[in-house]
Amino acid sequence: MAIIEINNISKTFVSSFGKKKVEALVNLTLSVEAGTIFGLLGPNGAGKTTLIKILLGITFPTNGDAMILGSRLSNFHLKERIGYLPENHRFPAYLTGGEVLNLFGRLSGLDGITLNKKADELLETVNLAAWKKTKIKNYSKGMMQRLGLAQAMINDPDIIFLDEPTDGVDPLGRKEIRDLLISLKNQGKTIFLNSHLLSEVEMISDSVGILNKGKLVKESSVYDLTESKEEYQLSVEGAHTIPYLSTQINKIDEETFNVKVSGLDELNKIIDELRKSGVLIRELKPLKTTLEDMFISIIKDSEGNKK
Amino acid sequence: MKNILILSLFTLREALSKKVFLFFIGISLLFLLVLAIIFSLIKTDSLLAFVNPAEEMVILQELLLHLRLIILSPIANLCLLLAIFSTAGFVPAMLEKGTIDLYLSKPISRAQLIIGKYLGAVLTVLINISFIIIGIWIIIAIKFGSWDPSFLWAVFTITFTFAVLYSIIILFNVITRGSIAGMMLAYFTFLILGPVLYEAKKRFGVLIESDFWRGVIDVFYYIFPKTTELMGLITVQLSSGKGIDEIQPVLTSFLFLILMVGLAIMVFRKKDF
Repeated sequence: MAIIEINNISKTFVSSFGKKKVEALVNLTLSVEAGTIFGLLGPNGAGKTTLIKILLGITFPTNGDAMILGSRLSNFHLKERIGYLPENHRFPAYLTGGEVLNLFGRLSGLDGITLNKKADELLETVNLAAWKKTKIKNYSKGMMQRLGLAQAMINDPDIIFLDEPTDGVDPLGRKEIRDLLISLKNQGKTIFLNSHLLSEVEMISDSVGILNKGKLVKESSVYDLTESKEEYQLSVEGAHTIPYLSTQINKIDEETFNVKVSGLDELNKIIDELRKSGVLIRELKPLKTTLEDMFISIIKDSEGNKK
Repeated sequence: MKNILILSLFTLREALSKKVFLFFIGISLLFLLVLAIIFSLIKTDSLLAFVNPAEEMVILQELLLHLRLIILSPIANLCLLLAIFSTAGFVPAMLEKGTIDLYLSKPISRAQLIIGKYLGAVLTVLINISFIIIGIWIIIAIKFGSWDPSFLWAVFTITFTFAVLYSIIILFNVITRGSIAGMMLAYFTFLILGPVLYEAKKRFGVLIESDFWRGVIDVFYYIFPKTTELMGLITVQLSSGKGIDEIQPVLTSFLFLILMVGLAIMVFRKKDF
């Protein structure tokens, strides 16, 4: 079931005197399934943040509409079920970590004991319990990011929008955030993730959308994008004795070859042939396309199509 | 309503964290201390030594009235100038990139955000003004034994004048996302436009023969807030225990306030962040 449905959304920014127009989003249609992690990818200026802001009513679309949890964007009560961590968020510096959660928790409709309990629980989850009473001006960037994440979860939302959630967080912290997002997904939450760290998106996302210059150039599951295309890398000794097989073997260097096959049977036949010819196989490993490879290729294709 | 209250209280909290408000409180305390020392040096008996005992109370009341007004006038103006300066940055701070996104992602309407911030600033100024006015009132009351509460009306007239001027600030805060334009226009309205329109309407209006120009002055006079009357005649009349002669300056200023806040909400509701 689609929990976010975006229909033909366009956004054009016009400069103060109308001289310059920037098309941030062009007829974008997209849907996100409930209980999944969706990664929105794209180069800088692709329109990722604009899309999230439109979905949250922070920016208004020029055309088109969207439904979240079955409600139109204009219904601000919808936000009672949404959490958001903006990119480069700035909490009021005079507040402590606990007060930040108190402020945004109260604005989300929580109160009293429920709010205090939830705030303590979340500070514990993001490893900031010891910093609850410290003014946030003394927090590091990673701590601010973790506090931002706690703030996005304060109202126990059904959908969480995260814009570069691991920005400024060290590798250990990033791992913790990834684990947290997976645990949220397992609780049935839907996570809409903007990130330029493709390896991280690949690790946790179920599906991705790739934006370029305001247009959605690809929408697919991560599995479909990165699945092995029956291609293997073969390292051998005695390469000079390799018999002529077919064009399925491509030479990478003197001892490394890429082998493209239609299935396991064909792969084993090739290995048999090689062994008969006295070739020593040092290593055989499946070639996997990374999300980054696919991303670069898709972006290049979309640029090429325009030209 | 709950959201507005939360925002107002957090705006008050923001104000208290700013040094300018500590400065305000510090200056007020210093002023009250100096006033207390000066009053402790004045002997009431010697002041009334040459007065007929039968008229002593009447003259003392008259003396107190003038004393309060002499103290009130510069203090009220100074408080207002300082209040504008110290609150002009509240809304621009909320509109900063990264902060406004957080507020707008919560289940709170844009109108509630503006009203909450507006009332928070007014509440902050109300507390500051109350602190100094009540302080002056207590010192005078202790010295002269007169506890006439009329003087405390000044708290409301000064705060109301601030509320009217702050409505201009909040509109221009929303339009420009900065504090300078709103602050400058509020100072301009208070220090130049208000007095000029007051003089033009009340004193020189009769000297203008042309109906057209008299009409133009009337239009401007009634549209813009009457800060000169609010801080002058109306404050004096109320704080000296007399009723106000004319309610029109209060009503038209209040309508101006509603218009400015309404426009601020309208602009804010259409803005992209």
